[in-house]
Amino acid sequence: MTANKITIEPVTRVEGHGKVTIHLDDNKQVTDAKLHIVEFRGFERFIQGRPFWEVPVTIQRLCGICPVSHHLAAAKAMDIIVGVDKLTPTAEKMRRLMHYGQMYQSHALHFFHLCSPDLLFGFDADVAIRNVVGVAAKYPELAVQGVMMRKYGQEIIKATAGKKIHGTGAIPGGINKNLSIAERDEFLKDLDQQMEWAKGALKIAKDYTVENIGLAKEFANFESSHLSLIREDGAMDLYHGNLRAIDKDGNKIFDQVDYQGYHNYIAEEVRDWSYMKFPFIKSIGNEDGWYRVGPLSRVNTADFIDTPMAEEARKEFMAVTDGKPNNLTLAYHWARMIELLHSAEKIKELLNDADLQGEDLVVKGHRREEGVGLIEAPRGTLFHHYKVNEDDQVTMCNLIVSTTSNNEPMNRAVASVAKKYLSGVEITEGLLNHVEVAIRAYDPCLSCATHALGRMPLEVSVIDDSGNVLDRKSTR
Amino acid sequence: MSEAKIKLNTEWLSVCGGCHVALVDLHEKILDVMKVIEIQRSPLLTDEKGYPPAQIGLISGSVRTSHDREVAKKMRESCDKIIAYGTCAVYGGIPGAALAHTAEDIIDRVYLNNPSTDSSAKVVPNRLVPKMDAKITPLDEVIDVDLYLTGCPPHAAYIFDALMSLVNGRDPRAKTESVCAKCKRVMKKTNQSEIKSVMAGMPDEEMCFLSQGYICLGSVTLNRCAAPCPQNNVVCTGCNGPMPQILTEPNRDIRTEIAARMSAMTQIPSTDIISEIEKSAKSYYAYAMASGMIRNKPTFFIEKWIEEVEKV
Repeated sequence: MTANKITIEPVTRVEGHGKVTIHLDDNKQVTDAKLHIVEFRGFERFIQGRPFWEVPVTIQRLCGICPVSHHLAAAKAMDIIVGVDKLTPTAEKMRRLMHYGQMYQSHALHFFHLCSPDLLFGFDADVAIRNVVGVAAKYPELAVQGVMMRKYGQEIIKATAGKKIHGTGAIPGGINKNLSIAERDEFLKDLDQQMEWAKGALKIAKDYTVENIGLAKEFANFESSHLSLIREDGAMDLYHGNLRAIDKDGNKIFDQVDYQGYHNYIAEEVRDWSYMKFPFIKSIGNEDGWYRVGPLSRVNTADFIDTPMAEEARKEFMAVTDGKPNNLTLAYHWARMIELLHSAEKIKELLNDADLQGEDLVVKGHRREEGVGLIEAPRGTLFHHYKVNEDDQVTMCNLIVSTTSNNEPMNRAVASVAKKYLSGVEITEGLLNHVEVAIRAYDPCLSCATHALGRMPLEVSVIDDSGNVLDRKSTR
Repeated sequence: MSEAKIKLNTEWLSVCGGCHVALVDLHEKILDVMKVIEIQRSPLLTDEKGYPPAQIGLISGSVRTSHDREVAKKMRESCDKIIAYGTCAVYGGIPGAALAHTAEDIIDRVYLNNPSTDSSAKVVPNRLVPKMDAKITPLDEVIDVDLYLTGCPPHAAYIFDALMSLVNGRDPRAKTESVCAKCKRVMKKTNQSEIKSVMAGMPDEEMCFLSQGYICLGSVTLNRCAAPCPQNNVVCTGCNGPMPQILTEPNRDIRTEIAARMSAMTQIPSTDIISEIEKSAKSYYAYAMASGMIRNKPTFFIEKWIEEVEKV
């Protein structure tokens, strides 16, 4: 028995560090491919013993890519701990504004800075230009738009959270500031331009998918269940809701589940070759219970979107699959841009709401011992669960981060692409990038994913018969 | 452009990624930076996986695995100047709490004793994944560092200044000043007689937090942030890491400095303040406990402080 193995390390243009291994047999046929998470930090343990009120500020340090999501999920859990089930309108709307600002900047970062080079230049374009610098040289207007859209989102975060990265706005039971008229007017001034750019980005993503539908149907395409939060009336809601899971055909597995009991519905499996766990829907079991999360899943699970332009875009999106869930990995980009536009529309709605200038910021209630906070982070459903003792110290912290739920799907995507494109051929850098393109579609946040056990180099290694590892450079 | 651009390599070790995102947060200034600097290798932005020679190397994150150690050395070999970029690289940062917990302890919490994890088969990751070092190590305990730029993450202005100082061959403009230098609050002598919890209510927006009885780390923390937290009525938690005198003088420490200042401005006995800080040592030393200059102080007993609080 001999085996060949290719390693891609690190996987680049993703948020964090990951590694892929691809195994080949003697006939150069790919037999297996896996995405590994190979680092670990241990935040769930670090947070124990700390006072609960600092958790929204501390825990977000597990991820600098989407800190707002962790900040808000932790704050929502701490709302429960301080006995608050309903925030003041000002507090809830300020948090929502912060969250939509985050969604807007994160989706723009992913689309323009990280994945657009693959879509604009091709998966196997010259590695020297296949990056944001190359985009800036060839499509300077587009690059500037990407930069300015991120800036807009980050400035909203700064105005609501105090800081662009690792802010402090949300506190247990509310928020510590409102939005001044001057800040509001500053954002309103640029809003129409932002809306135009968001529409433009949506068009690029849609046209790309429609024009390349043949590719999309053969590239890392597999059926799966989908999970997300959903509003009580079935609308997409990125900040709050109940859990809904659907199967590949759109049938509901469960619906309107109160997430305080998430662990009755979702469990995680540990596999000895990855630090990242494998979540599954309990009623289906660990073999087949895996599911996807993120923009694709959210557009699939929602009955409708409550903003007009994004709703129109959703209908166009769903029409491609005759109203059934869309299971195409490459369609994540299109779904993500629908959410980008939805976020811009939500920002507009909120900026025009006088509640943002309200003075009533915090509510107090009767202390509880345990709280769960969920939010739809840019990359999918994010779970935070805490227990707090009578000395106000955290005694238990459990996190299921968005990227973890996409662990099995990303592994399937990697295996599918490796088998399809790398079997029996001379392996080039461009072909290996196909594997990374599949991973990038999920916009994995490997920093989040490794909150528990460190960092995740995305590495594809090829090992020859003698066990020599040929690294990626040697395959160019 | 006739002149060759300065080449920049970046790398991240054990990290949250925020410092790399902060680089992108230069926003339109990044386009100016790109006129004089070529981002040659950056795991977030380019697909260059090797370590071609460069004039500037930015390394974020602390060292946790053999892999981190190895790539830090490759960066050192390939770059003329290395910047330890961000609090984790400089002081170890929040992951430095690994100082207080063994890998076994963390693995138990995450994989075996966890409310949503099926641990019936007692499986833990132990195959095809690298082993963790016992501790988190700041960058300069592994390779030589030329410049330190702390911050969680550093404010964009300091990043821009650091890069431009290297491009133009000048000293960075960043000063050795505390967060108080950018905080507009007024220090007052008050009759406050006990320490206040941040959950007690909204603090006064004009007065120094210490005068009000809130423990704020602004006066012992290096300013690389322009003080956004106190401006938003939130105490400083020290995320940029401590001021140099805290590091270099054996008898000065975060808790003794804060206790001296706070007790002078209030009626709170300094022993109360010291004991409160020790009780929440994991929070007050969160960003710098892994730094040798803190953890090797003869008066620093973090394992003991944490054990006293966390033992059930």
